[in-house]
Amino acid sequence: MAKTKRSVKKENQAGQSLRTLGLFLIPIILLAGVIALFLNTGGGVSFESPVPIEDITVERVIITGPPESPQHFEIIVRNSGPEEVTIAQVVVNEGVRPFTMEPSNTIPRLGTASVHIDFGWVEGEAYGVTLFTTNAVAFGVDIPVAFKTPENNSQNLLGFTLIGLYVGVIPIFLGIFWLPALRRLGHGAMTFLIALTAGLLIFLGVDTLVEAIEQVVAVPNPFQGFGLIAIGSVGIFMLLAAISQREANLRRNENDKRLAIAYMIALGIGLHNLGEGLAIGAAYNVGEIALGTFLVVGFIIQNITEGLGIIAPILRQRTAIRDLLLLGLLGGAPAILGTWLGGLSPSATLAVFFLAVGTGAIFEVAYEIFKMLQRDTEKRPAPMLVVSGVLTGMLLLYITGLLIK
Amino acid sequence: MAKKLSRREFLKAGALGVAGTLGIAAAGQIGSNQPVRGHHLGGDHPHGDGPHGMANVVGEVDHVKNGFNPTDLLTDFDYGNVSTMANGQTLREYWIVAANKMIEVVPNIEFPAWTYASAEPDWKNPKPRVPGPTLRATEGDRIRINFFNGSDHPHTMHFHGIHPSEMDGVPPLNVQPGDSFLYEFDAEPFGLHQYHCHSFPLARHIAKGLYGAFIVDPVGGRPPVDQEFIMVQSGFDVDFDDANDFYQVNGIPFHFQNHPIQIRVGEKVRIYLVNMLEFDLINSFHLHANFFNYYPTGTSLTPSEYTDTVIQGQSQRGILEFSYKYPGIYMFHAHVTEFSELGWSGHFEVLP
Repeated sequence: MAKTKRSVKKENQAGQSLRTLGLFLIPIILLAGVIALFLNTGGGVSFESPVPIEDITVERVIITGPPESPQHFEIIVRNSGPEEVTIAQVVVNEGVRPFTMEPSNTIPRLGTASVHIDFGWVEGEAYGVTLFTTNAVAFGVDIPVAFKTPENNSQNLLGFTLIGLYVGVIPIFLGIFWLPALRRLGHGAMTFLIALTAGLLIFLGVDTLVEAIEQVVAVPNPFQGFGLIAIGSVGIFMLLAAISQREANLRRNENDKRLAIAYMIALGIGLHNLGEGLAIGAAYNVGEIALGTFLVVGFIIQNITEGLGIIAPILRQRTAIRDLLLLGLLGGAPAILGTWLGGLSPSATLAVFFLAVGTGAIFEVAYEIFKMLQRDTEKRPAPMLVVSGVLTGMLLLYITGLLIK
Repeated sequence: MAKKLSRREFLKAGALGVAGTLGIAAAGQIGSNQPVRGHHLGGDHPHGDGPHGMANVVGEVDHVKNGFNPTDLLTDFDYGNVSTMANGQTLREYWIVAANKMIEVVPNIEFPAWTYASAEPDWKNPKPRVPGPTLRATEGDRIRINFFNGSDHPHTMHFHGIHPSEMDGVPPLNVQPGDSFLYEFDAEPFGLHQYHCHSFPLARHIAKGLYGAFIVDPVGGRPPVDQEFIMVQSGFDVDFDDANDFYQVNGIPFHFQNHPIQIRVGEKVRIYLVNMLEFDLINSFHLHANFFNYYPTGTSLTPSEYTDTVIQGQSQRGILEFSYKYPGIYMFHAHVTEFSELGWSGHFEVLP
C-alpha cells in the first residue's frame, strides 16, 4: 500500500533523529572502549603510586558522658581520598585506645564512618586523637575543648533559636524601625543612604566570600569547595539578575520595582545571616565560641545596619506593614535556620555552599542598587554623595566589626 | 609459653592482682588459679574496657607472617656454631643477613622494617626479626660473624665491646647490598652489650630495626637463676616523622600486656634489658610490687642498686634480678608513662 507523503516525511524524520542519536553515541561508545582499554592494560602508563594516597576529613566529633552514656568520643569521618581507607589503630593523647567503628573499619571512597572511643575525658581539657590507617598514615583530630556535645533536644533547639533571634531577627527589625525617621529626610540624604546600603552590601559580600574561602579547607576534596563557591555565587547572581530583569519588564510602577529591590536586599542579607548562623552554630558545637554577651551585642549593633539597608530603597513610598514584616523576617530569620543547621548537624560543604550563595546574592543586589542610584541621580547627579555613601557604609561595618572579630 | 588471657579475664585478675599486693586473702584467691571474680575496672559496654580501661591496640598481629613471636624471643639465646680453635680458644660462628621485611607492628599496620636475620651456614634460611638475634658468648671467646647484606641499602654491624678498628662496623666499612663482610673479634668485656647498624643516617637505620643484644657471660657464668629473659626496648616511627608512634619490648607493642610472662613465686628471674630506642632520649623500666637488683651494663657481679625503677639513655643497658613474693598479675612498663600507653607495657603472671 502506498504511503502518504506525510507518513513518509514522518518516517524520514524518525530516521533522521535516529541517525543524529547514533552520531552522538559514536564518541561515547569510543570513550567506553578507551576506558576499557585503560582499565585492562593501563594504556602503557604505570599508575602505581609508591605511596598510597589517603585522605580523611573529620566531619564531626560528638562527645558524650554521664548520666546519658559513658564517657565517649564519636568521630565521624569521611574518606575524601581516591581509594578506600581502613583505620587500623587509634591513639588519644599519646595512648593507644581500644575503639570500634560503624559501619566498618574500611571506609569506601566518599563514604563516612563513626569511630567510637571510650575515653575518660575531663571537661574543659583539650585532646588530640590520631587515627592511623593501615598504611600508617596518621590523621589528627583536634578536640580543642572537651564538653558534652549539645543534643538535638528541644532545649538546645530553643537555645539556638534564641541566638539566631538575637543576632539576626531583632537587629534587622530594629533597623527597620528607623523607617519613620528616615522618611523625613530630603532627597540628597536618601541618595546618600542608598549609596550607604550599597557600601554595606559590598562589605558584607566580601566578608561572606572570605568566610566561604576560609571554610574550603574543611570540605572533603572530592566535593570541591572552590567549585561550590563558583556554582553558588555565579548561579545565584545570574538567577537574581534574570528575575530582576523580568520584574522590570513586567512592572511599570517604580514603587513596585523598588519594593522588589528591597525584597532582594532582604534575601541577600538573609543568605548572609544564614551563613553567619551556620558559623555560630558550628563554633558553639565544638565549644570554640565565647558566645559572651559582648559578642551578641556586637552582632546586634552590626546587623542593625542591615535593617537600614533593606528599607533604603523604599523610603519614599508607602509600604504595607505586612511587607515590612516579611522583609525583616526574610533578612533575619535565616540566622535561626543557620544556627540550627550549624549547631545540630554541622557540614562544611553545606556551609561553603550557602556562604557562596549569600555572596552571589549580595553582590547582585549591590549591582541592582547601583542601577537604582543611577536612575535616581539622572536628573541631579551627585557623584561625591554616592562615593561618600558607599565608603560610609563600608566603614560602618568595619567599625562595628571591631566589636565581633 | 605464656597463655593468652582474654582482655576481660585479665582485667578481672589484674584488679585483684593489684588488690593482692594489699591483702593476702585476695592473693590467695588468685593463687588458686581459678577464674577470679572481682571488681571490673571498666564499664560493661561494647567499646573496649570502658572510658578508664587500659591503653591497648585492637586485634592481634600475625606472628606467623611476621616470622617471630616476642614471647619466643624472651628466651632465644643464640650461642652460634661452637668449635675449638687450634689455640684452644672457643670459636662461635654466626651467619647473619640484613634483610628487608614487612612487619605487622600493631594490628593492621605493617612497617617496612630492616632486620638482622639469623641464618644457617652460607646464609641459608634467614629468619628476619626485630630485634635481631641475641648473640651470646663467654668472655674470651672468638666471635666470627659472616654478615651478608641482602637488602637494598648499605648496612654494617657495629658491636659494643672491645675490638680493633677494622672490626668496628662504621662507614667507610659499609657493606653494600649483595656484599658480605666477616666480623671477627674476641668477646670482651663480660656484660650486656648490643650491636646495631652504623650506616648513615644513623637514627633511621637503627629505628627501622637493625639492632640486637650481645651478651658476654663471665667465665664460669653469672650465678644461676631459674629464668632468664632478654628484653630489647625500642620504638616504631611508622609515619617517618622522626618521632616514635609506638613503643615496645621485643618488637611488638602491647605484646606482654596481652600475653603475660609466666613465672612462679620465689623463682629467681634475670632480665637482660637493653635500650635501643631512637628519637627519644631516655627510656625506663619499672617493676610493679617488687624491687630488683640492678647491674648496669652487666660488667660487675655486684649490684649497684636495689630499686624498682631504672632509667636507660639511648644504648644503655643493664641486668635486673628479682623474684616475686606473692602470686598475681603484675605490670612492668616504661615509667616514661607516655611510652607505656603507646605499647611499652607488659605483665608478669606470677603463679604460686
